[in-house]
Amino acid sequence: MSQLPILIIVLPLLMVPICLFIRHKDYVYTLSLGISFVSLILVCFLFYEVNIYGTILYELGGWQAPVGIRLQADLLSCYFLLLINFMSFICMLSGKEIVAKQINSQNIYLFYIAWLLCNIGFSGIILTNDIFNLFVFLEISSLSTYFLISQGMHKGSNIVALQYLFVGSIGAVFILLGIGIIYAHLGTLNMTDISEKFMHIEIPRSLIFSIGLLIIGVAIKSAIFPLHTWLIRTYAYSPSIIVAYFAGTSTKVGIYILIRVFLDILNSINPLEEYSLIQLILFISVIGVLLSTTYAIKQVDLKKMLAFSSIAQLSYIVIALMVFTNESVIASLVHVFNHSIIKTGLFLIIATIFVTNQQVETNDLAGLGKKYPYMMSAFVILSFGLIGIPLTSGFISKWYLVTSILDSNFWYLSIIVLLTSFMTLFYIWKLIEKIYFVQTNNTKTGSVLVHQGLGVFVLAALTLYLGIDTTFTVGVSENITNIIFSGVTK
Amino acid sequence: MNLLALHLLLPIIGMIILNVVKKDRVLYVTHVLISLFSFLIAVKIFIEKNYYFQQNLNLFEIIPNISISFNLDGLGMIFLLVSNFLWLMTTIYSHRYLNLNAINDRSKFYIFFTLAMFSTNAIIYSSNLFTTFIFYEFLTLSTYPLVTFKKDEKSIDNGKKYLYYLLGTSIIFLLPAIIITFDLTGSLEYKVGGIFGNNNDSMMINILVLLFIFGVAKSAIMPFHKWLPAAMVAPTPVSALLHAVAVVKSGVYIMMKIILFIFGTQILQETGADLILIFVSSLTIISASIMALRQDNIKLVLAYSTISQLSYIILSVSILAPLSVLAAILHLIFHALGKIILFLSAGVITTCMNIKNVSDMNGISSRLPFTIFLTSLGAFVMIGIPPTVGFFSKWYLLLGIVESEKLYLLIVLIVSTLLNASYYFPIIYKSYFSKNNSAYKDSQTEDYLLILPIIIIGTVTIVLFFDVDSIIMFAQGYIIK
Repeated sequence: MSQLPILIIVLPLLMVPICLFIRHKDYVYTLSLGISFVSLILVCFLFYEVNIYGTILYELGGWQAPVGIRLQADLLSCYFLLLINFMSFICMLSGKEIVAKQINSQNIYLFYIAWLLCNIGFSGIILTNDIFNLFVFLEISSLSTYFLISQGMHKGSNIVALQYLFVGSIGAVFILLGIGIIYAHLGTLNMTDISEKFMHIEIPRSLIFSIGLLIIGVAIKSAIFPLHTWLIRTYAYSPSIIVAYFAGTSTKVGIYILIRVFLDILNSINPLEEYSLIQLILFISVIGVLLSTTYAIKQVDLKKMLAFSSIAQLSYIVIALMVFTNESVIASLVHVFNHSIIKTGLFLIIATIFVTNQQVETNDLAGLGKKYPYMMSAFVILSFGLIGIPLTSGFISKWYLVTSILDSNFWYLSIIVLLTSFMTLFYIWKLIEKIYFVQTNNTKTGSVLVHQGLGVFVLAALTLYLGIDTTFTVGVSENITNIIFSGVTK
Repeated sequence: MNLLALHLLLPIIGMIILNVVKKDRVLYVTHVLISLFSFLIAVKIFIEKNYYFQQNLNLFEIIPNISISFNLDGLGMIFLLVSNFLWLMTTIYSHRYLNLNAINDRSKFYIFFTLAMFSTNAIIYSSNLFTTFIFYEFLTLSTYPLVTFKKDEKSIDNGKKYLYYLLGTSIIFLLPAIIITFDLTGSLEYKVGGIFGNNNDSMMINILVLLFIFGVAKSAIMPFHKWLPAAMVAPTPVSALLHAVAVVKSGVYIMMKIILFIFGTQILQETGADLILIFVSSLTIISASIMALRQDNIKLVLAYSTISQLSYIILSVSILAPLSVLAAILHLIFHALGKIILFLSAGVITTCMNIKNVSDMNGISSRLPFTIFLTSLGAFVMIGIPPTVGFFSKWYLLLGIVESEKLYLLIVLIVSTLLNASYYFPIIYKSYFSKNNSAYKDSQTEDYLLILPIIIIGTVTIVLFFDVDSIIMFAQGYIIK
């Protein structure tokens, strides 16, 4: 039995008390970076094994599944696990100076510990096969998120952290209630078990209700429109490096949970169809795309602009999931990966350049084209990815999104996707014009060191690479959906 | 080594060198060398065309069954020769122009110029619609820094317009059109006779034609033409080469390829979609000419004239008769030659005399005899007056109209020719016969280095008038079979 799944969770967890004991910020940073790297390597190995041998199950303490806790690593988990750990590593790599400048120096070691815990929470959510465990890991990540957000320099940071605490708790209550009802009905918490039982019984209404609760809870946690408002302010007032990390991870974990719930537990979205919920969710998502793109155009605050853009992109993913054809699920999975890279890259650039400032307005970008030619070329590449210019990964996502939606019953939604992807141009171009055509003396920016730029360049290069060679993203997504849909038909 | 690959790579290598080089003179020499080699390779390929028409260059498969790949056909060969020849001429011109107008930041200018020409070559070479789309977007993005080159408020505003129109239409119309085409046919390769086969759902084809004609906004079909006048804020060499030849002709070239090699003439005729094309292009021809009448700025007159002339090409192809397709090919060449003469001359007038408007051109022929002579030559090509090549394209269009028995199009032809004449003749008349009121300084004379490339192009048009048969032979041998 492969020990990798448990190692990915336990190794960083072991590092937490050690870091607490060391307390020296430089050592803690080195240890956290090291363990992130080790996790990333382990995830790569796990991916490799899963790719060859198929799904890996790990029974905790040797107890068999419905009774004991089981970790499950299939392709879907590995895909998301790779994304999360890669983002964590990249952000931590470029983050040392930013953290040193932005965080109260006494709290820096706690900051890294919270970061580690948050990442452990995410990895746990993805790896666990137990629905209650999923809730526990979700709370681990949420609790550390509260701390991470509250460390911002802005006076609003604490308020935002508190707000996230409230909203997150409400979400947690929904999720817990949903899990409770499922447990009361089926007497099991194991996902595979639940899905098997679902297949053999006539699904009662209360279970549908519980699934609904789960969806709402997850939607709150992952800021799916219209439950997104907390995310905007969180992105605006949190420490910039943590925003970069969250942009690529936290919302994507929410998407992961949705995929698991729908495709693994429910095996299909038919129960939703029965209550014509699909049309409702699609409708809401379309409104979400349109509204958040419009808001993004209007924003003056750069981080809020990108936050709204994230909401719009999330809505694309939800639309693609709800359309629920083989291709559209592929499209959503591909877009999850591509969008993570692009958005983290953009936030990372902002974090690196505006080292001492957490609040960045679009006007602050003025004249940076001359000052940071390389960073800004990366910015341009990444924002091209966001628009979906050919030869960037964004184009691949757009191609698959539009193709799959056109093929489905909801072909008219492709008009919305195309229209909003054009509207993306409006706000992106506002930034690019500022960068290259406005000349001002900017005082908010600091100098950029080589290793800080490294992360950004890796992400920009990946944006280009994934736009040309799609064997990884599309290939893996195809395999995942094949497995999912073969489960649906059986 | 495969010359096709070399031809595509050459501008890229050139850009790397341009990026390193700092001195203005070295930049200029490098750029001339790049364009010269590019032209020579094009000529070499032309000489060995029978071999290179068979070549295929596959790069990589991005999406299953869709790859970035290049090849060359007869139509591409013609456009390749024209664009690379004019690139060389404009390069010679632009150095002097930039010097006289004291424009700095040359390396940026040359780099993006080269990038734009790379995209144009790649569009010409692309062997499927997907590759074309990629480089179509590249061309938009690489010309954007040139349009906004002056970095003042007006050029930034116009640049935005340029970008929104071109990228917007390509995202909203062209991309879904390509996706639907791929969906219906499972292929995006250009193929003689089209790729639709028996799949002639008339409704769908009509919608697709609409999406394509508005999606390829580089061909400046109304109402998505406004980017072209907006792009006129750019330095004159950019307006001349890119916005009279490379960019707009790429648009028309793509439309020709779509009409001939994606849909195929048969399907368009069966579904009646050709009437849509004829209608929108006729409308654009007439209304753009009327708009050109109302302009005073020389470059804007030329821009609107370009819009109308581009639609001529689209109209000629859409008639779908062999002779009218020939007319389209001829017009693709001749309009490029004629319009670049006009633009470059306008640049001379602006640079040497500081005149930007038609109304100020009174009697300037005494100061700029060669320039005004060349301007008249270019105008005659546009109107289609016999001693110039422009006559042939109109003649074959006429024959094509008669051949296809769409005689009502004669009205379009006559009206637009009259309109052409009525905005070009005042320019010629004013500069030759009107009296000028202001006294000129002695320094305000022609710059001979500046008009040298224009004279060469002018000579070529005259030579082609007597040798038009060879082009027709080539077109009938390799394109219209």
